[in-house]
Amino acid sequence: MSVAGVGGFGLGRPRARRTAERASRKVARNVGVPLLSIVLLLAVWQGIVVFFHVAPYIAPRPRAAILAVTQNWSTLWPLVLGTIRETVYGFVIGAALGLSLGVIMAKVPVLQRLVYPVLVLSQAVPIIALAAPLVLILGFSVTPKVVIVAWIVFFPVTVNVLDGLSHVDQDLLNLARVYGAPRWRTFLQIEIPATATPLFSGLKIGATYAVTGAIIGELAASDGSSLALYQEHANSNLNTAAVYGTTMLMTAIGISWFLLVVGAEVYATPWQRRTVARRTWRRAGGESDG
Amino acid sequence: MSPALLELRDVSKVFGETVALAPTTLSIDDGSFVAIVGPSGCGKSTMFNVIAGLLAPDGGEVRLRDQLVTGATGHVGYMLQKDLLVPWRTVEDNITMAKRLTGRVTGPDRAEARRVARAYGLGEFLRHYPSALSGGMRQRVAFMRTLVTHQSLLLLDEPFGALDAQTRLEMQQWLLQVWKDTERTVLFITHDVDESIFLSDRVLVMSPRPGRVVADFVNPLARPRTVDTLTDPAFVDMKSRIMHLLHGGAS
Repeated sequence: MSVAGVGGFGLGRPRARRTAERASRKVARNVGVPLLSIVLLLAVWQGIVVFFHVAPYIAPRPRAAILAVTQNWSTLWPLVLGTIRETVYGFVIGAALGLSLGVIMAKVPVLQRLVYPVLVLSQAVPIIALAAPLVLILGFSVTPKVVIVAWIVFFPVTVNVLDGLSHVDQDLLNLARVYGAPRWRTFLQIEIPATATPLFSGLKIGATYAVTGAIIGELAASDGSSLALYQEHANSNLNTAAVYGTTMLMTAIGISWFLLVVGAEVYATPWQRRTVARRTWRRAGGESDG
Repeated sequence: MSPALLELRDVSKVFGETVALAPTTLSIDDGSFVAIVGPSGCGKSTMFNVIAGLLAPDGGEVRLRDQLVTGATGHVGYMLQKDLLVPWRTVEDNITMAKRLTGRVTGPDRAEARRVARAYGLGEFLRHYPSALSGGMRQRVAFMRTLVTHQSLLLLDEPFGALDAQTRLEMQQWLLQVWKDTERTVLFITHDVDESIFLSDRVLVMSPRPGRVVADFVNPLARPRTVDTLTDPAFVDMKSRIMHLLHGGAS
């Protein structure tokens, strides 16, 4: 070939492939260190309760709180499932709504100016104050909780998507125009993927608040069986260990949901962490040509 | 003599009070390599954007192979100083991006992308994301993406402006090799007088306020160009004349 050797100019070295050793060190850093911080937190809690002789009805030891959960697991599990359901439904609806609103507002500037103040207003309303009228309108079903979760989740998604779409490189959009690309293809192939990172930032913020929304909804709009009411009963019975245990359970739901969203991000945006594309992302029959 | 591929007839562009491009008439031969050199604000990028169809001129017309293309897009290859590779696509998928934006990427399109990448030293990196590549490699991918659009006319706007001097010289030699292999017509904008002479058959010198072409040099230097070209008396003479035009000294 007439150009053999042209590639041999040595135009810099690519990043080295990740070795197995580096990968395992990464796992230790990303999983081990957060786990250690939870253990430390429990140790500090234990230390304070023991050292200051805190009465069990004010703060139980971590072990008592955990036992209060495990020993009542058959009662708690359906309630946990209920909270998870409210969180997931609300999150999915809020995320879809947030994404759609972000896209529409980015594409129709007039609508953006019109709707943005209303969105900010919606977040300024204290959620607790919102719960009462929602119960009047929607009753004690799962619906008001889902609405509250969606209400909290959509906002960071919309703001981030809007921001992401308005910061797509204008030169890249011009390049697509020079190629003669129709606008809808430019939107799907360039603008949407370019918004992946801010979209996931919004989803992660939404995920951390989603459980809070579900619990507020349960407090305001439960007809008897919910994780939030279980905690209220425990509180009025001075069963402090169960109060703390339920709080830990709620926190665990929130963390799990957040980690799931992080996992989705890692899977959906491989270019953020990888040097080489995953095999499943490669085109079929990619190795054969002349 | 080859026929004209591109013709500008009295093309002009005004932004508010500023005449970005005074009425300009130009003819670019098929298969030639024409460099455009000039300071910032001399209208060279405006001229490119008018030719590419990104800007509608205020007057005049653009013809490609005698077809009127004024204000229309989809008829040139176009590359900037920024490589504009999308980070979420592999090297191979970045090379085929124009097809993805205008229709379907077919098997032959991907085969061509792989062939071009292998021919020009990036065969090992087809499955890599752009973030794994050096600046010079990224610019080569961007150029391959421009090549596989199969446009006869390539508009290159300071493509090597962000590279270090060493890499830039390598990229210039590489570009001349590819240009020779693929028989395209290149319009090449640069700030760098040496670069404009080293690469081209012809150098257009532009000047600002109003943006216009003030000189049109035929480059007498033989090909292939080598490192020795840079110290050839004809090179030095041409450089001196262009420098005087650009920096206002008497020539």
